[in-house]
Amino acid sequence: MAPISVPRKPLKLIDRVSAINWNRLEDDKDLEVWDRLTGNFWLPEKVPVSNDIPSWQSMSEEEHTLTMRVFTGLTLLDTIQGTVGAVSLIPDALTPHEEAVYTNIAFMESVHAKSYSSIFSTLCSTEQIDAAFSWSEENEYLQKKAQIVLDYYEGDSPLKRKVASTLLESFLFYSGFYLPMYFSSHAKLTNTADVIRLIIRDEAVHGYYIGYKYQRGLERVNEAKREEMREYTYELLNELYDNEVEYTESLYAGVGLVEDVEKFLRYNGNKALMNLGYPALFPAEICDVNPAIIASLSPNADENHDFFSGSGSSYVMGKAEETDDEDWDF
Amino acid sequence: MTTYDPSTDYHALNAMLNLYDEHGLIQFGKDKEAERAYVTSEIEPNTMRFGSTAERLDYLIGHQYYDGDVFARYSPEFLDAFYQRAQSSGFEFETFLGAFKFFRSYALKSFDGKTYLEDFPQRCAAVALDLAAGDEHAAERYLDEMLVGRFQPATPTFLNLGKAQRGEPVSCFLVRIEDNMESISRGINAALQLSKRGGGVALLLSNLRELGAPIKHIENQSSGVVPVMKLLEDSFSYANQLGARQGAGAVYLNAHHPDIMRFLDTKRENADEKIRIKSLALGVVVPDITFELAKRKEQMALFSPYDVERVYGKPFADISVSERYDEMLADDRISKTYIDARKFFTTLAELQFESGYPYIVFEDTVNRANPIDGRVTMSNLCSEILQVQEPSSYAEDLSYTHVGRDVSCNLGSLNIAKAMDGGLADTVETAIHALTAVAEHTSIDAVPSIRRANEEGHAIGLGQMNLHGFLAREGIMYGSDEALDFTDMYFMTVAYHAYKASHELAVRHGKAFVGFERSDYAKPAGAGNYFDKYTDGRRSIEPRTERVRELFARFGVAIPTVADWQALRDEILADGIYNQNLQAVPPTGSISYINHSTSSIHPIASKIEIRKEGKIGRMYYPAPYMTNDNLEYFKDAYEIGWQAIVDTYAEATQHVDQGLSLTLFFPDTATTRDVNKAQIYAWRKGIKTLYYIRIRQQALEGTEVAGCVSCML
Repeated sequence: MAPISVPRKPLKLIDRVSAINWNRLEDDKDLEVWDRLTGNFWLPEKVPVSNDIPSWQSMSEEEHTLTMRVFTGLTLLDTIQGTVGAVSLIPDALTPHEEAVYTNIAFMESVHAKSYSSIFSTLCSTEQIDAAFSWSEENEYLQKKAQIVLDYYEGDSPLKRKVASTLLESFLFYSGFYLPMYFSSHAKLTNTADVIRLIIRDEAVHGYYIGYKYQRGLERVNEAKREEMREYTYELLNELYDNEVEYTESLYAGVGLVEDVEKFLRYNGNKALMNLGYPALFPAEICDVNPAIIASLSPNADENHDFFSGSGSSYVMGKAEETDDEDWDF
Repeated sequence: MTTYDPSTDYHALNAMLNLYDEHGLIQFGKDKEAERAYVTSEIEPNTMRFGSTAERLDYLIGHQYYDGDVFARYSPEFLDAFYQRAQSSGFEFETFLGAFKFFRSYALKSFDGKTYLEDFPQRCAAVALDLAAGDEHAAERYLDEMLVGRFQPATPTFLNLGKAQRGEPVSCFLVRIEDNMESISRGINAALQLSKRGGGVALLLSNLRELGAPIKHIENQSSGVVPVMKLLEDSFSYANQLGARQGAGAVYLNAHHPDIMRFLDTKRENADEKIRIKSLALGVVVPDITFELAKRKEQMALFSPYDVERVYGKPFADISVSERYDEMLADDRISKTYIDARKFFTTLAELQFESGYPYIVFEDTVNRANPIDGRVTMSNLCSEILQVQEPSSYAEDLSYTHVGRDVSCNLGSLNIAKAMDGGLADTVETAIHALTAVAEHTSIDAVPSIRRANEEGHAIGLGQMNLHGFLAREGIMYGSDEALDFTDMYFMTVAYHAYKASHELAVRHGKAFVGFERSDYAKPAGAGNYFDKYTDGRRSIEPRTERVRELFARFGVAIPTVADWQALRDEILADGIYNQNLQAVPPTGSISYINHSTSSIHPIASKIEIRKEGKIGRMYYPAPYMTNDNLEYFKDAYEIGWQAIVDTYAEATQHVDQGLSLTLFFPDTATTRDVNKAQIYAWRKGIKTLYYIRIRQQALEGTEVAGCVSCML
């Protein structure tokens, strides 16, 4: 894939160096999120995507093209978030621990981007992969959303960056997440869905955390600035939403899912606003997404999977704690 | 891909089960709506219709769907009446998942997969006719047990019987591997051949020489167990049962094998691709001495299997590490390495957090409880099969120079609630006969050591499910004193009727299983006889609580008395029993959904369980008998906690000759120490094996999906 070829200003990360002391926290949320993110660490090699090959082969040409386009779109967003987005938040961090969390977010976004490639290489031919990547470079709506977000990352407002980042994590990804969740509820590509659920598990925390930090940031500015940010947020969401509707049409029109995906967009738009501390924009009646999708979104790791057909998305890194003598008192 | 329509989308209706309604109530009705929508809009229009039973059977036999031999044993008149009986039951699935799973995975379909050729009563009928092999009365009994849902054969039996194109009706296989290339090749062959035909396959790796062990006396030659695991993993993913079931396998290794840490590290999240094991299940065989060493905070010695076999003249797995530990430690001919025993347990638990594996077999507990002459060295893919084996030996061309004994096991489970409703005794007897019929109809020619053991032992595994469902229906809390008392009495009563049925089979066939005379069943009363525990007064065999006494009286189920056991023991001493092994309690995944039971004797995993499988996708499943008014009895396994689960299994374990799949459930806030504590507790309570560890992580506050039933604590 061609690089996201926007000229970037050299990024100055921090202007002081002080050793990070995790025993002196300014914000307990940093440690809570750090623990959650590190506990959730995973690599795509864990999931036996190759078990989806029979399912993939039973799907139509149209479904193949759609799937690949959706995943290249997601790859693009994860690339932005991993290499530019999360990194650009570092200089704005209010605490050294917040910086550390962003480095984890940036790294995991790169893991996500790579996991789509690992899905591709398992299921598709090189020719198909190349075709999908060139589609992603030519789709104007996809390029436009990338451009909008990139512009804010490179702008000079820390608060705006966080808004853009939260909208990306909590809103823009979901037009793509819809498809694997839809497939999985219809018994297709269930192992691929495991990878996506692992990604959703991460993105849910990322969006929540960046939104939380945005709200802490707002507390430090005056009322006028707050009002400006509120207006700005709704404007940006509207701009992205309009673009996202077009993008959705370009992807899903052929399979008759446009209407339901749009409901899903609105649902997640509201969710992103909630993360930023704002009331919902879209009334609940027009956010009544297919329950099969909503029910599959829960970031809880509580799926009771069948060990014969997959590895599940429920396991986490364990916390090692030594036993002591009283445990062995028998 | 079809356009989404919310009113007929049964997936959406099913998913609403996991979302509260506007009054905060669980929408149970939506799930039944989903089941009806699915059956009427998807199944019925795509089902082939016939004018009569004769016409249907002619078509299905003529087109190679049914095995004609099965039906030729019955008269057309009988078959007509038999199918009438099946169809008049008015059967409907209680849940969407039950129906979906049945039609997706079990029902006979046309070869192009587009037309359904069977419904549930017709599947039961074909299975019953095949099992009964021409005995009309038996066929009717089998049919009734399955239709009412008191007895449900395991997936391979229920899926395959009666069909012309099918795999074996056997659930699982266990195969030893010895420390030579011929045996390794035979092991891989067994993995391929058995996966092609049916169930899961477990292989024993404990005997293989370790990494760096000599080959032909040249040091540092062997590559150890990990490359063999890789070969097996690839073999399993290559072979599957006509696409019906993915091949699945497990490998077991003794904790004191020098490759133990490398074996465990194959499941690490960041393991190198060359050694990473994704789908192969791992099990560790842990002797008592490992616990003793950890208690004493000592190093544990790992012994070279290559050297041990040379010193003792038998494979490593056939040595009791606990008994020989000090002796092997002092023997300079056996090379050793050391790891910290407590660290070993921490590592086990770490891996279980990351992957759910390994299973654990408490080797000495298992062998103390084993009534059969010989040694149990491993378990199977679900950790409930525990049978003795005997090594085979091979010539260079892989032909057998000695056919040893390996294991096949036919499983089937009773629905505890329905079996109690039906009076229990007849159901147990019918189930034992049905499982024995599967053993008798099976001949695994691809692996002669399995064929031999099946011919000689007719081992079967009668399981149980829906314990939590039954307890909740009766208003008893899982893990309470009354629940433990019930479990104890229920399993003892089942054991009594199972042995009684197996004794009758021995009388009918005029023979006991081979080796009966060397088993604990043949020992004189009071001198180590298996039934002494019921007859020598060491424990009361009456209910401890009034509630349980009343419960059995209300259902008309008689609890065997000391006199009953004495009489049965004496009959068995005279005639033997037909089955070398009788009971094993499997985890019951798929069949408990079809049967609408809670799995095995576990607590439910969630009020509304989220089930994900390759063949069905992501679905939602309500616990049986649950309504918005009795939710308090449906605490899930994470709330109930490991101690109550272990206590429940400990009650049942006393009465089961093989094992029970025991999953432990932890919230993600648990540490490896909590897992270790549960393992120590289970070992001390006499549990034989531990199956998966399941971890539940709750969404971080602020990231959860509102109104989701399975997300609520």
